[in-house]
Amino acid sequence: MAARRYDAIIIGGGHNGLVTAAYLARAGKAVLVLERRPRVGGAAVTEEIFPGFKFTMFSYVVSLLRPEIIRDLDLPRHGLHILPLESTVTPMENGDYIAAWADHDETRRELYRHSPRDAEAYDEYGRLMHFMAQAVKPILSMVPPDPTSFAPGDLAALLKLGKHFRGLGGERLHALVKLMTMSSADFLDEWFETDVLKATKSASGIIGTFLGPRSPGTAYVLLHHYMGELDGVFRAWGFAKGGTGAVSEAIASSAREFGAEIRCNAGAAKVIVRNGRATGVVLENGDELTARTVVSSLDPRRTFLQLLESDDLPGDFVSDIKRFKFRGSSGKVNLALDALPSFTCMPGIGRQHRGAFSISPSLDYVERAYDDAKYGEFSRRPYMDIVFPSMIDPGMAPPGKHVMSIFVQYAPYNLNGGWSDAKREAFGDAVVNTVESFAPGFKSKILHRQVITPLDIERITGLTEGNIFAGELALHQLFFLRPAPGWAKFATPVRNFYQCGSGTHPGGGIMGASGRLAAMRILRDGA
Amino acid sequence: MRSSLLDAIVIGAGANGLAAAHYLARAGKRVVVVEQRHTADPSADIGWVPPGVIRDLGLHQLRLEQPDPWLTVPLDGGSTLELSRDIGRSVEAIRRISPADAAKWPEFCQRMRTLAGVLERLYLAPPPDIETRDPRELARIGGLGLYVRRLGKQAVIDLARILPMSIAELLDDWFASDVLKGALGALGIWHLKQGPRSGGTAFNFLHHHAGSPAGVFRPARSNITKVLEGMPGVEVRRGSRATVLAKNGRASGVVLEKSSEAILAPIVVSSADPRATLDPVAIELDPEFARAVDNIKARGVVARGTLTLDSAPSYANLCVAPSLEYLERAYDDAKYGKDSAVPYVEVQRTDGNRLELHVQYVPYTDGTANVPRHQALQQKVAQVLGVQPSQVKLQSPDEEQMQRGATEGHLYHGELTLDQILFMRPVPGWSRYRTPIEGLYLCGSGTHPGGGIPGAAGRNAAREIV
Repeated sequence: MAARRYDAIIIGGGHNGLVTAAYLARAGKAVLVLERRPRVGGAAVTEEIFPGFKFTMFSYVVSLLRPEIIRDLDLPRHGLHILPLESTVTPMENGDYIAAWADHDETRRELYRHSPRDAEAYDEYGRLMHFMAQAVKPILSMVPPDPTSFAPGDLAALLKLGKHFRGLGGERLHALVKLMTMSSADFLDEWFETDVLKATKSASGIIGTFLGPRSPGTAYVLLHHYMGELDGVFRAWGFAKGGTGAVSEAIASSAREFGAEIRCNAGAAKVIVRNGRATGVVLENGDELTARTVVSSLDPRRTFLQLLESDDLPGDFVSDIKRFKFRGSSGKVNLALDALPSFTCMPGIGRQHRGAFSISPSLDYVERAYDDAKYGEFSRRPYMDIVFPSMIDPGMAPPGKHVMSIFVQYAPYNLNGGWSDAKREAFGDAVVNTVESFAPGFKSKILHRQVITPLDIERITGLTEGNIFAGELALHQLFFLRPAPGWAKFATPVRNFYQCGSGTHPGGGIMGASGRLAAMRILRDGA
Repeated sequence: MRSSLLDAIVIGAGANGLAAAHYLARAGKRVVVVEQRHTADPSADIGWVPPGVIRDLGLHQLRLEQPDPWLTVPLDGGSTLELSRDIGRSVEAIRRISPADAAKWPEFCQRMRTLAGVLERLYLAPPPDIETRDPRELARIGGLGLYVRRLGKQAVIDLARILPMSIAELLDDWFASDVLKGALGALGIWHLKQGPRSGGTAFNFLHHHAGSPAGVFRPARSNITKVLEGMPGVEVRRGSRATVLAKNGRASGVVLEKSSEAILAPIVVSSADPRATLDPVAIELDPEFARAVDNIKARGVVARGTLTLDSAPSYANLCVAPSLEYLERAYDDAKYGKDSAVPYVEVQRTDGNRLELHVQYVPYTDGTANVPRHQALQQKVAQVLGVQPSQVKLQSPDEEQMQRGATEGHLYHGELTLDQILFMRPVPGWSRYRTPIEGLYLCGSGTHPGGGIPGAAGRNAAREIV
């Protein structure tokens, strides 16, 4: 069979793989995307799990998608439509709450109710974080230089980076050092006194990590999540119409229009390597495809330890990849509801259901949730981020009914005794019971329940240990260390074989930056 | 008192205060040291005395104690693991609990030594000023960069990778034995309100390795305070706490609390902790700076004290921290403001056969003595060591603050976390030992390079002043 010869084969049709494919196709390359599952999207998929009820199975909000990608790939024309999540309400154990609304003045009045001092500090804090996010953004769009290299390109890039940071001026530079090294609890302590405010804010610093709000390194994740923020509204995350699967579909549609071919139900088994050079891909069904360039959007462990043979790679590189940490810590509970629940702190059904409910009533609450996970148990009373997608996008549920998406932390991948069906249900019960304690009567409204553990995430999407960022966002796994020192520039030790997933710089979130930077690098290398 | 003839007053007669005083005296200044305690406290003289200090001040009487074996770890079944200065002997000892770990020991020691070497170089000078436009300072920073890169690719990667890591992750990369990881990991949490799984504890581990030979992961002790005190050239006045006098943004001297006597000098150098030094003159400070001082994290978590035994023990340094999880669980209690139910305890035998205790975590609470809590703690420590409570004498961080005025009873005047070192110490942008008050300088552990390196901050500060 005379197979078509491709310029590039991209393994994995998650959002980063699709972004790489779209950029390469846009540059006139013959591109093929291989997706193991029946649909594209990876962890960003929308599925009708129960008849009439659609869920974004894993990831659930969009905040970080790079604007240049939206522009370059003309995504709005391909169906991308982001609806804002308008508020965050954090119920407290005593029946009170703290809320942030789209209206800035209203948020300030709300904070004032808790602490006039915090209301004052809030604007200054918002300005600083906004500025810091702006200052860090250029890094997201740059290929990390290698500080161990003496190549002129690396030296120039390091110098440029140094200049950029010095240009920030003392005060902001110090704030950056703090953000890079502190725990979110300590960082917020310097600004605020209201415990529940610190709790709900620090919660965004722990998403996707195996760390608690008092663990150093979480302040950075705080910033990472601020980067998608619009106009300083805190946690102004968006919700894609049709779920996050619609984001993947839009990118896929754009890629197709540029001429890329996308093949579903086509899992890649191995990358073919001849004389240290990637020449093609063997599919799970045994078919062989050839290409001048092969790109993997899978996480680093699967990219290097599964798709390649270990003798294709230098030994110390293999041990660096083996050392790369995943430690999935989050689960997801998707519910089909007969009616919306009413929360004790803000009774009734109203605009609060158009935003998120954050179950993070105090710093100690979130920290204790982490303590459980640290010793191999799921949190008995977990931190949860709850949204009702059907309130923003009615197409997600049958008329009058609702879907509820609960992001849950912590559920450790390495659970004591391992995950089983019984453990999964026990975990689901813990989640539902905790919500019930803040919204009595909620349980009676549940029609269907889907509980997803990190092990399920791994099984379904292939993400190692169910880590939603394809590798922990810890300081020692970022920038030129992501995924391994010396190999953070999307190339790999195998010639013509590239990586483009979230496990590369800058990683994490539905951002697409890794996919775009990888495509740039591949094109520069003349694929 | 011919106080008007003084050039400088140094607050505090610890190693840093005395070192600063002697450096100033050598530069021709007339210096007086004021100290609240009646007698010198030798228990803080733990850590590396930089060779520069020994050389400059001619500390011929300085005695360093680094016991060999430097650590004794009790094992289940009554035997012990002894870690020695000689790497080969440690390998033999470790082999009995884990042959795989024994094989990795020499390389681990080598890699850690290289990194500690980088820290040592950073510690012997003021911290790099990253905002500078001064060509000399830029050249110095460039020189540091070049020095690090000459150490090789592995060192650069290790530096970037390991410093922000947790000590648990670092040790898990290398070793399998819980006992070994517990004993080494304990050094990573010294004086931190963090557990072994918290990022930055690998740095704290390396900080305390500075000055020790490869394969020794407990700092040496010395008699530096005593030696400095015995040296001529500097007058030490004891028995009263001193407060800085400042007006219109200028320091003019100190006032002794007991007698209300004022001692005047154009330069005041404080080795007390930054918060305690600056609080009384807060009115002179810019609010931003005052807030930064207020934000210094100095959460005391260590109770120190002594142990009395009938006869001298067979060990020189006993460490009870059987695993990283043991340490982490001890930390969990502290997170919620409680003393560890089962604390990490280390017993160090000093020269004079005094047995000193380091008990962690005993978090600072409200600065008052609490008798039931104190007794419960004594009981716990006695139980961990298998002795009677009456043999254990302890001082909690609260008691330490009450007696010595150190904020929240923190021995280092500020935790050694990554956001509080180098140009961030004591507060961001004020790492050159100066303060916004003209003539007032800081020279204690609260400044670069921090606690556990007696004399280094004093030396760096005096050089900046001169």
